[in-house]
Amino acid sequence: CTKEFKEINTSKNGVKNTTPETLLTSALHDVITRNLNRAMRLTNELMQVHVTTSDADEIHRYVIRPLESDYMWNNWYLQLTNFKDMYKGASVIKSNNYMGIALIMDVWVSSLITDTYGDVPYSQANQGKEQGILQPKFDSQQSIYASLFSKLEEANTRLKAATEIPDAEKGLEPLYNGDMVKWRKFGNSLYLRLLMRVSGRTELNAAAKITEIVDTRKADYPIFTSNDDSAILRFQSTPPLVSEFYNYRDLDFNSGSGLGEFFINNLNNWEDPRLEKWATKFENSYQGIKSGYPVGQVPAVKSRYSISLKNEPLLGNIMNYAELQFILAEASVRGLVSGTAQTYYENGVKAAITMWGYTVPSDYLTATTAKWDPTNNAYQMTEKIMLQKYYALFFTDFQQWFEYRRTGFPILPKGEGLQNGGQMPSRLKYPVNVQSLNSANYKEAVANMGGDDLNVKVWWNK
Amino acid sequence: ASFAQKITISRKNTALQPVFNEIAKQSGYDFFYDAHTLKDAKRISIDVRGVSINEALEICMEGQALSYTIENKVVVVRKREIPAKSLAALTIRGTVADESGQPLIGASVVVKNTKNAVVTNAKGDFELKNVAEDATLIVSYTGYLSQEVPLNNKNNIRVILKEDNQALNEVVVTALGIKREEKALGYAITKVKGEDLMDAVSNNWTDALSGKIAGLNMIKSGGGPAGSNKIILRGESSLSGDNSALVVIDGVIVSSKITEGNGAYLGSESPVDFGNGISDLNPEDIDNITVLKGPGASALYGYRGANGAIIITTKSGKPMQKGLGISFNSNATLATINRWPDYQYEYGQGAAGQDTWYSYLATEDGASTRSTGSAWGVKFDGQEYYQYDPATNTRGTERTPWIPYKNNRKDFFETAATFTNSLSISGGNAKTNARLNFTNLKNTWIVPNTGYDRNTIALSVSQKVSDKLTIASKLNFNNKYSKNLPSTGYNNQTIMYSMISLVPNADINWYKNYWVPGSEGITQISPFSSNVDNPYLQAYEMLNGSRRNQLVGNVTATYDFTKELSLMIRSSMDWSGEARSQQRPKDTERFKDGMYRTQDIFQQEVNSDFLLTYKPEINKSFDANFSFGGSAMKNNYKMVEMRADRLRYPQIFTFANSKDLVIPISRRSDYAVNSLYGLAQFGYKDKLYLDFTLRNDWSSLLATSNSIENVSFMYPSVNLSAVLSEVFTLPSQVSFLKLRASFAEVGGSGVTPYLTGYDYNPTEFPSGAANPVAIANGNLKPERSRTLETGIDARFFKSRLGIDFSFYHSNVRDQILRTPIDRASGWSSIILNSGLVRNQGVEAQINGVPVKTKSFTWNVFGTFAANRNTVVSLADSINTYIMQSGPRGTMEARVGKRMGDLYGLGYQRSPDGQIVYNSQGYPVLTQETMYLGRATPDFTASFGSDFRYRQFRAKFLIDGQYGAVAYSHSHVALAIAGKLKKTLPGRYNGIIGNGVQQNADGSYRPNDVIATNISAYYNEHFKGDNVEANVFSTDYIKLREARVDYVLPAKMLKRLGLQTAMIGVYGRDLFMISGWPAFDPEFGTLGSSDIQRGFEIGQFPSTRSFGLNLSFSF
Repeated sequence: CTKEFKEINTSKNGVKNTTPETLLTSALHDVITRNLNRAMRLTNELMQVHVTTSDADEIHRYVIRPLESDYMWNNWYLQLTNFKDMYKGASVIKSNNYMGIALIMDVWVSSLITDTYGDVPYSQANQGKEQGILQPKFDSQQSIYASLFSKLEEANTRLKAATEIPDAEKGLEPLYNGDMVKWRKFGNSLYLRLLMRVSGRTELNAAAKITEIVDTRKADYPIFTSNDDSAILRFQSTPPLVSEFYNYRDLDFNSGSGLGEFFINNLNNWEDPRLEKWATKFENSYQGIKSGYPVGQVPAVKSRYSISLKNEPLLGNIMNYAELQFILAEASVRGLVSGTAQTYYENGVKAAITMWGYTVPSDYLTATTAKWDPTNNAYQMTEKIMLQKYYALFFTDFQQWFEYRRTGFPILPKGEGLQNGGQMPSRLKYPVNVQSLNSANYKEAVANMGGDDLNVKVWWNK
Repeated sequence: ASFAQKITISRKNTALQPVFNEIAKQSGYDFFYDAHTLKDAKRISIDVRGVSINEALEICMEGQALSYTIENKVVVVRKREIPAKSLAALTIRGTVADESGQPLIGASVVVKNTKNAVVTNAKGDFELKNVAEDATLIVSYTGYLSQEVPLNNKNNIRVILKEDNQALNEVVVTALGIKREEKALGYAITKVKGEDLMDAVSNNWTDALSGKIAGLNMIKSGGGPAGSNKIILRGESSLSGDNSALVVIDGVIVSSKITEGNGAYLGSESPVDFGNGISDLNPEDIDNITVLKGPGASALYGYRGANGAIIITTKSGKPMQKGLGISFNSNATLATINRWPDYQYEYGQGAAGQDTWYSYLATEDGASTRSTGSAWGVKFDGQEYYQYDPATNTRGTERTPWIPYKNNRKDFFETAATFTNSLSISGGNAKTNARLNFTNLKNTWIVPNTGYDRNTIALSVSQKVSDKLTIASKLNFNNKYSKNLPSTGYNNQTIMYSMISLVPNADINWYKNYWVPGSEGITQISPFSSNVDNPYLQAYEMLNGSRRNQLVGNVTATYDFTKELSLMIRSSMDWSGEARSQQRPKDTERFKDGMYRTQDIFQQEVNSDFLLTYKPEINKSFDANFSFGGSAMKNNYKMVEMRADRLRYPQIFTFANSKDLVIPISRRSDYAVNSLYGLAQFGYKDKLYLDFTLRNDWSSLLATSNSIENVSFMYPSVNLSAVLSEVFTLPSQVSFLKLRASFAEVGGSGVTPYLTGYDYNPTEFPSGAANPVAIANGNLKPERSRTLETGIDARFFKSRLGIDFSFYHSNVRDQILRTPIDRASGWSSIILNSGLVRNQGVEAQINGVPVKTKSFTWNVFGTFAANRNTVVSLADSINTYIMQSGPRGTMEARVGKRMGDLYGLGYQRSPDGQIVYNSQGYPVLTQETMYLGRATPDFTASFGSDFRYRQFRAKFLIDGQYGAVAYSHSHVALAIAGKLKKTLPGRYNGIIGNGVQQNADGSYRPNDVIATNISAYYNEHFKGDNVEANVFSTDYIKLREARVDYVLPAKMLKRLGLQTAMIGVYGRDLFMISGWPAFDPEFGTLGSSDIQRGFEIGQFPSTRSFGLNLSFSF
């Protein structure tokens, strides 16, 4: 009478086995929507894109409560499982395509994790099922980056050998609809983002690698060449491929906050056409409010996010062409690449605006503060590049904050209500439950990092 | 058969036979007798007009050596067994008294086999004439054991009646429906009579268990008319939250699955309480309930009995019952809201700083202040402002008086009404009995346009097919229909969200027309904040419908091979099919384009079992009883949901009208458990009883797709009962004393299938798959609970005082848990056998009869229960297990602490415990969470009393709990919006908070900083993040039930042709003492498939109900 039990206790709701292409879309979509959620909650507050008008939410005052750390740790690692599983499945069927895609996704998410927290579980991570590792050890950020780079090398090689994806499968790859050449460009562009991030350190020879990719071996490392190549998960108008904010009520999306003065004023100065898509008018103009206001002095909201941003396809941005141009512009200022900084900068500005469907106003690059000044020193040039980059990274996970931590740009005004000694947090604390669920490794990591504090600098930031 | 067949007959000196023929003709009754029987009969004379058949027959039989019986319209005439001898007729005198010598007044004394009877007088004396010298008297008195007294030629006798300690020999239903004498039990049980459930009826009959059973805790969703409850016996022990007692109706285990739901706090959907199979049972059909509190009692129910069991026996027809057996019961109950938060109506709408003007839209008075949901605005002081004009749905053209609408919340709600009418027919003879009941219930609830209708048909039939074979069946069918059940929780799809958002200067009547004229179905009217749905739109257009059919029934055959050996075979089923739907019109906040969804739910459990019982006759002082049984159970659940989350045309709720592709979602869950069990009972001279049980389960839940290695598990129990009052001679004040002890182990496999296999989940994308978030466990083992229980049952003063006391100690180990792991492992949890949770507790129940005379009886009754719980260990890697998260704060099980502890942020305090304020005068919050109290009570207690005076009966029940706390989100939302009286101080001169300031050197001084922004001040105190400030005691004392009855006296009944008739008035939850800031401290919050303690999230008002009950039978 127990013979049927095997059958009875076999799930009718799931599947026992799957192939790599099926795992991509939902994992990618999940990471993107989570990133949007956090961009709204953390990045845009810290970086003064908007300012909350609830006195209780103090992120704009640099108060990040321990609980804020959970969300990304909890969700990023879960999706890494899918990307790593995809790689495993692809190696079984010897698919360079999906091994390459899986590697790029793995690197992208892993870099977000380490840039957010510092030293994190990596080499032993995501092995709970196969290896039974429920308490993975933490790796140093340096070793993580070394591994990320080797994964990107492997991805570049594999995607070079990529084959045409059958038409029937193209729909299962939402980023480039199966265009493997673009995937390869994405991998290498991401490579440049990460190289630039650690370029302040000498250990991994990042500077030399940048030169190699951009100049000396550029044929081996194709990178983005236009907005068409940008890695953007474009949301559709109906579910399931929709934005995190698709189901938000309008009030949840934009009534609890106003756009920041810093964010609005620069755009006003340049008469930037993107304002129209990003912000609502207040008394017939775009007006922001002060970030970092003291407790009890909540400013009244002026301009808000446009409701149309709720399902804006471009907010599915992972990495766009404009960002790459600004990376190259910065590399040029630092003498790492041969092209001129001005060209890269102006390409970046144009791409960032045209991406949003606007033409660049004729005087934008000639008569506003956005104009390139070749007589500027490196500091001023970098400031100019990073300010534009800040806008190109609009709603892109934590990138604005990562770049601010790395470069100190853009220069944000400091509100009088700031806590934390007026110092921008340098990382998130480890989630509270890691302290109990992975206690020994946590303690070791904290010792290596020099504490588990918001102000402890991660390896590339030291 | 006092059936009024009128007989008219006049004969002189005639034989019996023609008289019988005539009576048969007139009455339609058949006569049955042997011709020899009438051979020696005397001739009779009879002259009657319009008498009953009995009276006519009585005349026929006078002085005859014959007797008759009437059964099923058949008159059987026999020779009298003992032929009437012409013995001397005596006159007997006597006295009837109780054991203490007190005369018993009104005791009945009957000469056996005759109609000769009298009752005793005020001195307890009686006199009987014309009694044969060898006759036997039967003496009886209510509450005493009847006694037969042979005369043996005496003509003056004294009869001492023994009090009927009925309870001592009371037969109760135990696990698997096995009937036992209560004194033989080694564990605690509580019996509740069906009529006690009807004292103060509510829509969910389980409400009536409150306060009647020591150790029973109820978590009530309060989520609407259906109002599901979660019943917990002896405290929680399962970390996963599955702590509900098993509910068994006539041997059928009934599903307590509540609902497929979402979080109540700003979830994307709001949960709806659709009720469940238990709440839908018709209390009218319940004959009695036995509550088996611990596994000692319920071990035979196996894996699901570990949390105790509630065994319900429904009514049956009674064999040989008097009267026609038709009874009618009607209840009308009205309910009104019994308690309100302390709303302020002194200041009107306004956000922070908007306290000097009011303006609906921008006017010369200032910027618009209409869109805030806060009440930090201007004082109501007789002034006038531009305000909303309901006639034009916009700003009025002239200034109007600035006044509060103090009843705006109260006026939204209605008086709830429930009408229940129930008709039953029952009857039986020696071989057959049957009962059929039909009940109709109509309910309208406090929220407009909510409520439900329910029809129930219950049938019970039993037929003795032969001397050895009996076949019986019980079926309960019910059909429930609701057009609309309210959404619960705090979210803009819920009524309570709208009520909390209502500002003091809003008239609720302004919302009543909820569509903008000319834009019906397209644009709603919401005069103030446009983010909150109009409550009337919610009530009348945002509908949650349900249509549910349920069948709970069994068919049983019992075969007695011999007197000693019998076999029962039974098949039972709990089946339900439910069609739910949700619809939202256009322009609702959450679904701007409207929405239509349906869920079809199929749920079925089929169980077939047998029980072989062998009861050998050994000798007089020793008896034994052996039972062996087995069962095969299958449980299937299937849910199919269809979603159209945007609609093309307004007000058309069909899938054809979907703007997008309709999304289907489906879920299945199946499991099966087979079991064999045995029970051995031994009794020695009614003094000592010893029971053993052993059960083995084979559960599919522990199988994997390629192994059944772990599916089998076995567990024993042993129960001992010693009736010390029979063993030793105790002082006469002690009428009964029993000690009991039991040890029980129960193995379990939970009720969640598929935990042993790793399966990719489907995603919402085509051909999409994703790894599950939990690591399956192919080596899952059964969980084990072990309970030791002892108790004492003592009765004193001729059982006028009874005390029942229990102590228990239980360990639940190897719980099948989704154990959380560091997500860096790639998964959020792993299915493990882990954890050890200990519960220890005491329960006491007291019954007393302080006064008892013929016309007046006073009973008192009380319970007390306390449970202490310890989390002894969890899985290796964790020291805390988060049982649930509230809007803010968590309920956790930490090793060494108790389950159900609440943690959250709180006030930063100075070393002497004072609140620290910052330099602007606002309180400072801690960075780390801290312990803030426990959601489970330290103890619960109840007290009740019952008075009978002649035809009147009055009854009340009070109960309460002590020592628990909960977080109130209603309080958060009302306080930070300035809507409670506690937010009045300081408007608008500023306030100095009660606490301290920290000096530069680290020392503290009394707070001396004036907080100038009052809204910010109260926000800093009461915002949700400050869990401490929003945690309140849930202690309460409630007048739970009160009732007064009048039973019509026999004389009047006779005139009306009734058997019984009663009229009663009752009330439930009439008064409450509590410091809870919202409506009711006794609440549960509907979550996904569970009702949870600890976090109140936009609770509905609770009600006080009054009712009228009429019942009669004939």
